[in-house]
Amino acid sequence: MKNMLWLIRNTLRSTFRKKSSWIIYFALPLAGVILSMLIYGNTNGADLRVGIVNQDGDRPVTADAIRFVEELGHVKVTMTDEASLNKEIAAGNLDSGIVFGAGYEAAVREGRQPDIRIVSAKGAQVTAYAKAMLDGYVGNVAAIGQAAKGDAAKFDAVYAEYKKNGFKMDSDSLKDTSNVKSMTYQSIGFLLMFMMFSASNMTELILKEKENRTFLRLLASPVSARTYVLSNVLFTAFILLLQIVFTLVVMRYVLKIDSGVPFAVLLASLFLFSLAAIGLSLLLVAFSKNSRSAGALQTLVVTPTCLLSGCTFPPEIMPDTIQKIASFLPQSWLLDTVTELQSGRTFGSLYLNLAILVGFAAAFSLIAVYRFSRNNDVRQFI
Amino acid sequence: MNVLEIRNLTKKFDDFIAVDNMNLSVREGEIFGFLGANGAGKSTTINMVSSLLRTTKGEIELLGRNIAKHPKFAKSNIGIVPQDLAIYEEMTAYENVSFFAGLYGLRGSELKERTIEALDFVGLGDKHKSLPKNFSGGMKRRLNIACAIAHRPKLIIMDEPTVGIDPQSRNYILNSVRKLNRMGCTIIYTSHYMEEVEELCTRIAIVDHGKIIAEGSKEQLKSIITDTKEIWIAVKSEGAVDLESLKRLQGVTAVRLEDQTIKINSKAEINNLNWIIQQLIKDQVEIRSVEEQAPNLETVFLTLTGRNLRD
Ligand SMILES: Nc1ncnc2c1ncn2[C@@H]1O[C@H](COP(=O)(O)OP(=O)(O)OP(=O)(O)O)[C@@H](O)[C@H]1O
Ligand SMILES: [Mg+2]
Repeated sequence: MKNMLWLIRNTLRSTFRKKSSWIIYFALPLAGVILSMLIYGNTNGADLRVGIVNQDGDRPVTADAIRFVEELGHVKVTMTDEASLNKEIAAGNLDSGIVFGAGYEAAVREGRQPDIRIVSAKGAQVTAYAKAMLDGYVGNVAAIGQAAKGDAAKFDAVYAEYKKNGFKMDSDSLKDTSNVKSMTYQSIGFLLMFMMFSASNMTELILKEKENRTFLRLLASPVSARTYVLSNVLFTAFILLLQIVFTLVVMRYVLKIDSGVPFAVLLASLFLFSLAAIGLSLLLVAFSKNSRSAGALQTLVVTPTCLLSGCTFPPEIMPDTIQKIASFLPQSWLLDTVTELQSGRTFGSLYLNLAILVGFAAAFSLIAVYRFSRNNDVRQFI
Repeated sequence: MNVLEIRNLTKKFDDFIAVDNMNLSVREGEIFGFLGANGAGKSTTINMVSSLLRTTKGEIELLGRNIAKHPKFAKSNIGIVPQDLAIYEEMTAYENVSFFAGLYGLRGSELKERTIEALDFVGLGDKHKSLPKNFSGGMKRRLNIACAIAHRPKLIIMDEPTVGIDPQSRNYILNSVRKLNRMGCTIIYTSHYMEEVEELCTRIAIVDHGKIIAEGSKEQLKSIITDTKEIWIAVKSEGAVDLESLKRLQGVTAVRLEDQTIKINSKAEINNLNWIIQQLIKDQVEIRSVEEQAPNLETVFLTLTGRNLRD
């Protein structure tokens, strides 16, 4: 234990002395976050294809609501019925659907919450934008109904005024959460990639240590190989934790991106992911002869898997089969966790995702340890 | 008491036997020379003694305790100077020594004192703030030694500590070895330089193909080869010397020419000095002196292993 702290202290000291460490571990992830802000900060990519089902018949207020959705930016509306709506969504022809239930107009006139259902295929973030806009609109109309207190004439008068103003809403009542969410998603994606690169970078120190033969000296001292590897893992975990905290703090307090997920929860999820990243790095190191080949292997593994799992681009643009492959990657599970958290699920209810991340970490490390322990050779070490 | 006791030690790399049933003991206070040609198995033996390699068979005892059963004890009492430099280039000399000494549990002011002591010992006291990447080869070698001695081990193992360095650093290192020895350290010294070993070591083992083929003091080793003699003939001009014709003379086993001196190895029982001189006179070589050398370690090594120490 004493030796482990000594080893960690020494590694920390020589790491932070190098300028390149600061760049790799802190500046690059930050650059990734800023990059994703520039990419996703303004536009929301392709149009959202929305199918609308009107079960409220031919009522003017309902028709206005449908027109409101049609006039939203980046939304393409198709009128349909409930049965074909589900079919179209399943077939991928529509991204989401809005069902105006019977009695919509009657409800808003009385100031009650009307029956609107939103169906979506691709997770909440895609439809969040349309939903947020519609919620704002419906809320306003219902507020008019509430103010009218069942007085139909009064409702019509105020409603006409509201309609004349083009259904303008005070911008405060509505946040365009969709953009922020995809921005968060992509920022976290970049962070994951840099975490993986950082982890392998630090784990490769084991190989570097072997190459400059200080590893022999370490093993000739009362330090066991196990202690040494463990201290490297702890060191790496510590740096990754710093990296996560730093990036999240800058995102939240400097760039003012509200991820929609509590800070501590996001931090905890990312830390679980960092364990998987360390496991993977150990695995790569265990199968590499020297730090150069480990570096090559790292690039070969990290870059494409990050691409596949949607760290660098939204996964929606990938073909379905690739999205399926992606579910074998820890990155996908973390990103999925973030999406679920953003749509309001709690940390505790996501135990499957979290267990899978821990599972990845355990599986990778076990294979690495098995591989390490079979090496009975100083030149191969451990 | 024996500091180190090696019994029936064997190391196999797959089918290749690098160390073959070796038996060896090193007594307290010795500077023990470990001689062997390239690939003889010196480093492999040393790596097993310092717990870096698992043994295939056999036992190693340090200060009376089996090192496999007491690894911590063994490791704390050994200081190893590896054949290849094992230092951090991007850490200062001081940090290097202090880091490694810290692994042996030293902390605080004690650590500081021992670190400075070790650096002073190898003559790097005034360079303690410099980075090894700015050091000469000899200075790096000296730092490599300092890293092995700060924890004051009982047994120091030096695996070719003087390869490829300037004479000044080399003298410094040889003197430090003597000084360490006087301070009570037992030392195992491996080298390709026969003169170093001859000058430094109190006892010597010759290793070949993973086996100890001879062991003892210099005198004991030299007395093994009573059947060989070496004749040195200083000549005026080297040009006319015909080494081939000398080699053909009866009893002569090897002839070489160094510094205007013909060095001839020959079987002891054949008195061929007259023939050798006759041949030189016939070739019109001017002879300045003739002397028969007492056998040296080089000859011993050559005779026992059939190879030169340095190929
Ligand atoms: N890890 C290994 N795997 C396979 N063979 C090895 C290994 N380590 C050493 N050897 C072989 O064992 C033999 C002895 O090597 P060793 O390094 O002990 O020799 P040495 O006496 O130290 O030589 P040198 O003077 O060159 O340092 C050599 O033939 C070497 O190739
Ligand atoms: Mg060697």
